[in-house]
Amino acid sequence: MPTVRLRKATEYSAEAQRLFELSKTWFGFDFAEPPAMSRVMAWDPGFGGPHGRAMRRAMGPGEFTRAEKEMVAAVVSGVNACAY
Amino acid sequence: MNVVADGLAGGPAAALLPPVDEAGAPDEVRALYDEIRAFYERADVPPVFRVLARDAGYAREVWGATRHAFTDRRLSRRLKEALAFAVSLTGSSAFGTAFHLGEMRRLGVGERGVFEVLGVTQMFSSYTKIADTLQLEPDMGHIAPADPTPPPGVQAP
Repeated sequence: MPTVRLRKATEYSAEAQRLFELSKTWFGFDFAEPPAMSRVMAWDPGFGGPHGRAMRRAMGPGEFTRAEKEMVAAVVSGVNACAY
Repeated sequence: MNVVADGLAGGPAAALLPPVDEAGAPDEVRALYDEIRAFYERADVPPVFRVLARDAGYAREVWGATRHAFTDRRLSRRLKEALAFAVSLTGSSAFGTAFHLGEMRRLGVGERGVFEVLGVTQMFSSYTKIADTLQLEPDMGHIAPADPTPPPGVQAP
């Protein structure tokens, strides 16, 4: 069980709502509630905004495709034994 | 591989289990070294394989598995080296990080590509720490369909 209470999307600021829209577009999936990590990162848009932009910059297609980068993300998560 | 390479193939522990020199090595070991040099297109044999070669039969099987895993198939060797680089970096393996970075470059990955993998590795190492600290529960596993591909050698139904 999470150690913090995850707020519903409607409890967040308008700026955070824009981050949630970006998240929905990024994943191409209409979540009932934004993913837990998105809601955590949106708690402080001053941090979550640039962090999210850095993530999209890192994950966007370049020499490696986004799918290939998702594999890199999966193995990093695996090495760190992170189920999330 | 990284565990042996970092622990035994360099530094003070190397004296405890010295690598097998090619000169005077059995034919089986020299043949293995030839294969390794050819696969990596390099003049030397990485020290980790020379340490493992103390048990030639074991080294042969480890090498067979390594070569099979890194051979181009559905995933390219270039991508597999990038994955190995990310794993090594995440696991703080000095040998693996340097070795697989060298292989990525040899296989044509440019500086931009290296930094892409570096960025994803750094970013997700951060995310995983946050997720674990907050004990977040997986909530995205359902957005992709399960892959019905059977294991190698098994006919799809």
